[in-house]
Order: sequence, then structure tokens, then C-alpha cells
Amino acid sequence: MDVSAQLEAQKSKYKSINVEKQVPLQFDLGLLASYDTNALEENKLKTETDNYLKAYTRDGTQLLINEIFQLPLTSVQDVGVVVELPKIVTAIPREKPLPKPKPPTRWERFAKVKGIKKNKKSKLIYDEEKGEWVPRWGYKGANDDGSNEWLVPVPDNADPFEDQFTKLRQAKKERISKNEARRRRNIEEAETGETQKLENKSKAGARALKKTELHQQISVAKTSTASLGKFDKPIKGEPSNTKGVKRKFEPNIGDIQKEKEARLNILNKIIDKKGEILNVRKAIAKNHQEN
Amino acid sequence: MLKTIKPKNARTKRILKKREPKVEENVKTAIFVRGSTTSQVVNDALSDLCRLRRTNSINFTKKNNVHPFDDDTSLNFYCSKNDASLFVIGSHSKKRPHNLVFGRMFDGQLLDMIEVGIEKAITMNEIKSQKCSVGMKPLFIFNGDLFETSQVHKTFKNMMLDFFRGQNLESINISGLEYVISITATGSIVDSDSTAPSTSDGKIFFRVYTIQMTKSGQKAPRVELEEMGPSYDFKLRRTKFANEEVYKIATKVPKTLKPKKVKNIDVNEIGDKVGHIHVGRQDLGKLQTRKMKGLKRMTEDDQTEDWSQRIEGVFLDIQHVEE
Repeated sequence: MDVSAQLEAQKSKYKSINVEKQVPLQFDLGLLASYDTNALEENKLKTETDNYLKAYTRDGTQLLINEIFQLPLTSVQDVGVVVELPKIVTAIPREKPLPKPKPPTRWERFAKVKGIKKNKKSKLIYDEEKGEWVPRWGYKGANDDGSNEWLVPVPDNADPFEDQFTKLRQAKKERISKNEARRRRNIEEAETGETQKLENKSKAGARALKKTELHQQISVAKTSTASLGKFDKPIKGEPSNTKGVKRKFEPNIGDIQKEKEARLNILNKIIDKKGEILNVRKAIAKNHQEN
Repeated sequence: MLKTIKPKNARTKRILKKREPKVEENVKTAIFVRGSTTSQVVNDALSDLCRLRRTNSINFTKKNNVHPFDDDTSLNFYCSKNDASLFVIGSHSKKRPHNLVFGRMFDGQLLDMIEVGIEKAITMNEIKSQKCSVGMKPLFIFNGDLFETSQVHKTFKNMMLDFFRGQNLESINISGLEYVISITATGSIVDSDSTAPSTSDGKIFFRVYTIQMTKSGQKAPRVELEEMGPSYDFKLRRTKFANEEVYKIATKVPKTLKPKKVKNIDVNEIGDKVGHIHVGRQDLGKLQTRKMKGLKRMTEDDQTEDWSQRIEGVFLDIQHVEE
């Protein structure tokens, strides 16, 4: 017997799964949907509605099922054959708007400007004194201030009659209340929309902040030699070190002519062009400034 | 509007958290509301539709005075109270007999609505056949080119998909493909963009069938259908479409759900997958050239070893001489 004939015989045992359509269907397999734009037979639809619809839908369903079976199939134990569905193509409106990102706290904003990244720390750390692993913080934590110990050493230059226990507890209470106040402030700022304003501000100020910080670091580095940087060669573009420049005052008894000139100068500046009214407040401020 | 609730205990806190906007949303809840006057047809339709998307639907069994096309305040209240974003309102009047209003909400506000009249209805119980199990995802078949051309039909299609699609799944069990919802539109369009129903004699046939799969000798099975019900012949009535801007916000895909851009992999015109490989700069220091003994660089170890050996050799020589 011929192979093709055998195949034919095998096929004829079952009903066909092939369906002919003039316009191929569109599928959105993520939704298990198919869109058929072929023209319907109007008169059949009127005379034998239900039968026609059933037959027509069967054809459509057959095509959809054929398409679904072409997707990657995996057989899972105790469950059956599972089909992996693609992403949905048809845009379906959401129920609620997208969640808004949580407004950053003051610390988060600062950390972003400074480029500080959060790195995960293990919860337990090894305490060498005790010789065991203890939590980093919290109950019996490594950062315990010692107020629960039976003995607290009195610092060298502390008042010997002061209760060190209450002092430590007081300090802890203060730290907690300070943190709480900050937490409240963060929530408040997030609710009033203040955070956004501050963030915009800090975005603009981030560069300036970095610059001033760099200047500070340079000035520290400059005075870190044995001679406090006295003999160092100046670098190109180096910020002038204004730190430690003392104000200089004129001697109390000096050149009268010079002083007179200076006073007149001030007067000329204050009396406006029309030369009538004297702004006393401004004059005093100017005088202070010039001196 | 409901006033914002501040949770007083952990349970309400959890419930409120479930209602918060999420990237991957919950399955939409639908409420089925009876208007001030209803007919038996409408009541049956409401309970049948409710049954179709059971576990995620709430059937209001008492009458409510709602007129969604005139005033949507009470509707907003029902939806926000039940955390529902889909609704069906049934009513019956002389002017609009056996009336159903399908609608959707977005962010607690009405998004769009379509009103249909039931011209012919068969309930699920009238058809004696096996029903699908609860919580199954249906297959959808939309027949008729009106679903591509007419704006009203497009919206209706989208709404039906939204109503009955159920859970959002990444994979589905083949045996879970139990039933198919077939929606067929007939008629001719007058104006494709108009918001009013564009077809005069047009109808929408809503049918639900269960699927039987039999062997076909091939990978895909042969499909046979059996009517499950309910089945309706709808006629489109009034509509209210979504504001374009609001709709745009509503269909926004979150960044995390968008497919990632695949770099350096293309598909060319023939359909072959082509990958670009970026080779880094070659390190010429490690280049293998011709080996020559004279050019060999000795490591420190080699050198010291060499010296110690030589010194030992000299000592041996001296010993020989002495002997």
C-alpha cells in the first residue's frame, strides 16, 4: 500500500480541523480572542440564525484553537498541558491610574545629590567581645548604648554625682523623638507637595553643593602639609583661600584727611541724585560696611 | 464621593491596601444593578451575566433609582463602595424596553457606557446543557467587519473583552478552555466616527457555547460546540464615549510591564535572526608572537633559583679541588 494512501486513510478517520476563510482572522492570543472580518451571509443569518451562528462560531473557534496549539506547550505533572500566552495586544483601559512613585525623604534627596548608594548590610554582625553573632541593632543589638548594663563608666571629666544611666536614657529618648519629628516632617512635606519643590531646588543646587564641597576639601588638603601649605606651588584655577583672613581696622588716631574723604564718599553715595532725603538706615548700614 | 478612610485596624488597612492603584491590577469587579423598573428578561439577563463572570461580580438584587445617562453620582458611589470598575444596569420602560447599560469606570469616574436593548433572550437555565466551571477564562470570537470599522462596535468589543476576560494569565491549562463567547454584529454603518449607534437595522448576537475537543489525528484537536447560554440579540441604543485624554491615561502601560528593548539582535528581511557582536579592544601585550629564548623574560623566582644553583655548583667545585 502506498504511504500517501495510508496517511489519507488515517486522516479520514477523523473530522478535519482545517477551515477555509477568505480573509484570514486576526488574533489576540493574550486575550484568547479572534477577530473575524469576513462578510456574513445575511439571508442565512435571518432564516436560521442560531444554527448559522453556531456553525460560523465553530469555524472561528477551530481556527483560534489551532492558533493556540501552535504556542509553546508544556506538560506539567498533575496539571496537564499548559500553554504559554503572549502579551495582550488590544489596549484595555486600566481600573485605576498608575501608582505614583513615593516622594523621596530628605535623606534620600541628599543621598541622591551626593551619590550615596544604599548597600545592603547583613542583619547579624559578629561581636568579638561576646564571641557570638548579635543583631546589628535592636534588642541585644551591637549598637546598644549600655544603659541597660549593671555598670556604666563615668567619663573622666564628668560630674561624679551625675547619674550616667539617666543621662544615657535621656539621650536615647531625644534621639528617638528627633527621628520621629523628621519622619513626620517627611510625611508632611510629601502630602503638601513641598517635596517636589525642594527636589527641584536641590537639583539646581546639587552642582553648587558639590563645588563648595570640593573647595572645602582642597583648602583642607592645602593646609595639610607640615608647613601648612606655605611653600606649596599654587595650582592653576585654585580657589583663593579666604579662610583665616582677619579683618583689619584703621587705627583710631590716623590721617584726618583720609577719614574726611571716606565720610564724604559715603554721604555722596547715600544722598540720591536729587540730593534731598537722607536714608538713615541705609547710611548706617553703609558705614558699617565700609568700616 | 466617599470620604477618604483612615484605617483604624490592621484588617481595614489590608483591605485598603488591596484597593490602592497597582502596576499589575486586580481582576475588575463588576456590579449588576437593577434600575427603578425592570422586566423579568432584564432580571434574568443581569443574573446570567453575573453568573458568567462569577467570583468577581456583585449582583444587586434590590431596585435602585439610577439613570446613568442623566446623572452618574449614585453610580460613582456604588462603584467606589464596592471597589468595582465595571457595571451593568438593567431597566425597562416603554421608551426603552429591556434595557441594559454596560459601563466602565476609571479612577472612580465614569469612563464610557453603551446601552443595548434585548430583543430576544434565552437564559442559561432554559438551555439544558452542561455549563462551564466557575472562574474559567473564555475564548472570544468577534464576527463581522463592523468591529473594525464602526466606533461604537469597537468600543463594544473592547468592553466585552474587558468584562469577561477574567484573570490576566501568563499561561493557561488547555483543559481550562471550556467555553467561547461569540459576538456577531450585523448591519451597515452610516457614519464610522459617530458616537450614536450607526446601524439602523443592525443587531449584535451574543452567544455562549461550551467547547468539546476531540481527537483529530493532529496536534490541534477538532472542536465541537454546544450552546450553553445565555443568548441575546442586542440592539445598540445610546452611548457615551470616554474623553480622549482620560482614555489615554487609562490605557497607559507601566514601564515595568513594557517589553525590554533587545539590543544587538535584529531580524532581517528574509526572516533570519542576526546578532551583532561587539568585540572589545585587543590587548596587544598578550599577543602571541614567535617564541625566542633570548627574548624570554625571567621571573624573579627563576633568577634567584638560578643564582643559588650556581653558588652551590661553585662550592662543589671547591670541595673537589680540596679533595
